[in-house]
Amino acid sequence: MTRLKTILGGVALAALLAGTGLAFAETDYQKKFQGTELNVLAPSMPQFGAIWKLVPQFEKEYGIKVHVDETPFDQTREKTLVDMQQGTGRYDVFAVDVMWLAEFAAAGFLEPVKKYVDDPKLTEADFELNDFLPRILSGTGVFNDTLYNIPMGAGPVGTTFRKDLAAAAGVTIPAKFDAKFNTDFMRDMIKKMHKPENGVIGFANVPARWFWGVTYLPYLYAFQKPDTVGNEYIGPDWKITINNQHTIDSIDYYVSLKQYMPADGASWGIGEATSAYQSGKAAGVWNYQDFIAGFFEDPKMKDIAGKSVHVHTPAGPDGVQDPWFGSWGLSVSVASKQKEAAWTFIQWMTSKQQQLAALKYGAGPTRHSTFKSEELAKVAPWWPSSYQFMLKQTNPDERVRIPEWAEISDIMGLQGNRVWIGEISSKEAAANMEKDMTAAMKKGGYYTAGAKLPKQAWRDLSYYDRKPSEWK
Amino acid sequence: MVATQATGKSSTPARQGDGVAAMAPRRPGLAALLGPQNKKVFPWVLMAPTILILAGIGIFPFIYALVLASSNIILSKPYLARSFVGLYQYQALIQDPDFWHALRLTIIFTVEAVFLEFWLGLGLALLFQRQLAGKAVIRVIILLPMIITPLVVGLIWRYMFYPGAGLVTYYVGGFFSLFGVRSLPFLADPHWALQTVIFVDVWEWTPFMFLILSAGLASIPAQPYEAAEIDGASSWRIFWTITMPLLRPSILIALVIRTMDAFRTFDTIRVMTQGGPGDSTTTLNVWLTKVGFEFFDASKAAALSLMMMLMIIILSFIFIRVFRARTENAS
Repeated sequence: MTRLKTILGGVALAALLAGTGLAFAETDYQKKFQGTELNVLAPSMPQFGAIWKLVPQFEKEYGIKVHVDETPFDQTREKTLVDMQQGTGRYDVFAVDVMWLAEFAAAGFLEPVKKYVDDPKLTEADFELNDFLPRILSGTGVFNDTLYNIPMGAGPVGTTFRKDLAAAAGVTIPAKFDAKFNTDFMRDMIKKMHKPENGVIGFANVPARWFWGVTYLPYLYAFQKPDTVGNEYIGPDWKITINNQHTIDSIDYYVSLKQYMPADGASWGIGEATSAYQSGKAAGVWNYQDFIAGFFEDPKMKDIAGKSVHVHTPAGPDGVQDPWFGSWGLSVSVASKQKEAAWTFIQWMTSKQQQLAALKYGAGPTRHSTFKSEELAKVAPWWPSSYQFMLKQTNPDERVRIPEWAEISDIMGLQGNRVWIGEISSKEAAANMEKDMTAAMKKGGYYTAGAKLPKQAWRDLSYYDRKPSEWK
Repeated sequence: MVATQATGKSSTPARQGDGVAAMAPRRPGLAALLGPQNKKVFPWVLMAPTILILAGIGIFPFIYALVLASSNIILSKPYLARSFVGLYQYQALIQDPDFWHALRLTIIFTVEAVFLEFWLGLGLALLFQRQLAGKAVIRVIILLPMIITPLVVGLIWRYMFYPGAGLVTYYVGGFFSLFGVRSLPFLADPHWALQTVIFVDVWEWTPFMFLILSAGLASIPAQPYEAAEIDGASSWRIFWTITMPLLRPSILIALVIRTMDAFRTFDTIRVMTQGGPGDSTTTLNVWLTKVGFEFFDASKAAALSLMMMLMIIILSFIFIRVFRARTENAS
């Protein structure tokens, strides 16, 4: 009996040791996070789906359990802010879109993370903050010179077209970022590819009110003249400058694409437009770089897999191209009761190794090393051509990074959508946008005498080119 | 007589035949003060838990809303200075064209939806007065829409009207294409979108009218009908001079409840159109949610909700006064 007890005890001890061995942490300090549970709030998007595939490995390595709550994109900000302003600490990590960083950071809802980056107890030795593209890191995560998150995905918006249908229509699509791909070219191409008799529409646009600030804005920028760049909708004195002929022309152009969509397309969001393209019912569609792998190049999508070409949004009549900057970062909630564990998760998820590992699931690059990797060129060949754009041309303030952006975007969307449904003219829309945006800025205190106004970093983009490690 | 001392206790015990006992009354304990013996206080003691709960979930939020509405709090911008602004939020609402637009849409939605629901519900209730085969089963089927969660109703109908692929858009589009007409943009046209959400509301809440009015019809005595039949009154005359007047109390209940609910409709509109296209289905409650949960302007949202509450109270008051006056006149 004593011998049996010894054997059983030995087996139990071995099992215990084995279990412990499976949950080792990166540093001795991080071992204390074993058994912790983290809650993450993020939108339901392909690039996030890609990185969540790595979560089991993180849980195994650190012994930290991660729960991910996903929400539809158009509800993410609401759900995030409801939790943030209650301060319950329900979520430890938030996915933050670049367009909401200013709002969240200014309200004090995000934890500055530089101190964690510089802490060797919490950050892997080869994390190398300077490996992130400067504009991607600063654009995504820096507000008031302070670093609030680490980018997990970034890229420009663009357009995707069926190259087989283009060829059948006798159209050769120019290379990405080629200025030959302008608004006239695009409309002409769409017209030729629009075959409703075959059940194929020319272009699946996204004119729903909530999305207008994302899908229409590239056209507002494209229709500028070289001397109006920088004043697309905000002037040097923060006054609204949107009520002008460029805006009217850009709205007219955007709405003119309506004839290549179904009559009931006014409420099409990203989901509807993407579905139409994925089922082979649209010759072209709006895209965001980080969506390409999951939405348009998944081999399981037999109707479109391998048949698409991905280009930028068109240049305008004067050759101006939209300097789109889209990105998502992972932030630590200021109300989290386990900030260090949350940072452990973030630094692991955005490390060089994991970013490379996530490529095969459809994630995108935010680091120099990932952009230049052979792996990226092999699994996602549409990415390397965006490297120079993200390095030098992109403007993180394309959607101005101020707390009032959500309201500005909504105003743009409401008025634009009203033009789309024929309720008002583009001229009225531009005037209404100016009036309502001015009211929003006034409410935000921008026109109060003596107000301390933020710097308009987009007028000197070298601000965003600062070395990542130099931010505080 | 035994004289009582200042302590209230007698110096010597009273003896039989000594007259009225001069024992000073004892101070009542808590049990006696709050117990069944105290007929003035005891009912309140029994109601206290309910009153506290009602105060907690009703009165406190109301007072808190009043306080919020008199400030300038934007929850997503805690760095903005907060101050007492008096009636500014109400003034700002009244001067806001979006408010009047939302109010107009709310009135159209409420009047149209309740009107249709009433007459359809009444028609069904009258039909069910007859002998019908399978009445019990049909009644359950009729009541089903009312039982489904409004959010789910919105989702079901959103997909039924899905552009190009929904059940309704597919078959209606197919029918109209026979006449060379493109498919109807149910949720994409500003006029059609409002009528579509009204249609869904009617589908969902006609059963409620049916239920209330059926109960009302069942409670009407048979004698007036018998007398009318003897007098040779037509069905139409019977309906207007007997059924409708006697049904007034039920009609009042049904109309007041449905008007209040229709005024505040949110779930189905939010799911189906999100207030669009444009702002063609942005009713007051949809707008309120946008102000409160998209822009986190808590003070403006509180002021708006208080104004909506006032409007609903006034509407209900008008209904009750009008119906009561008509009922009194009739009797």
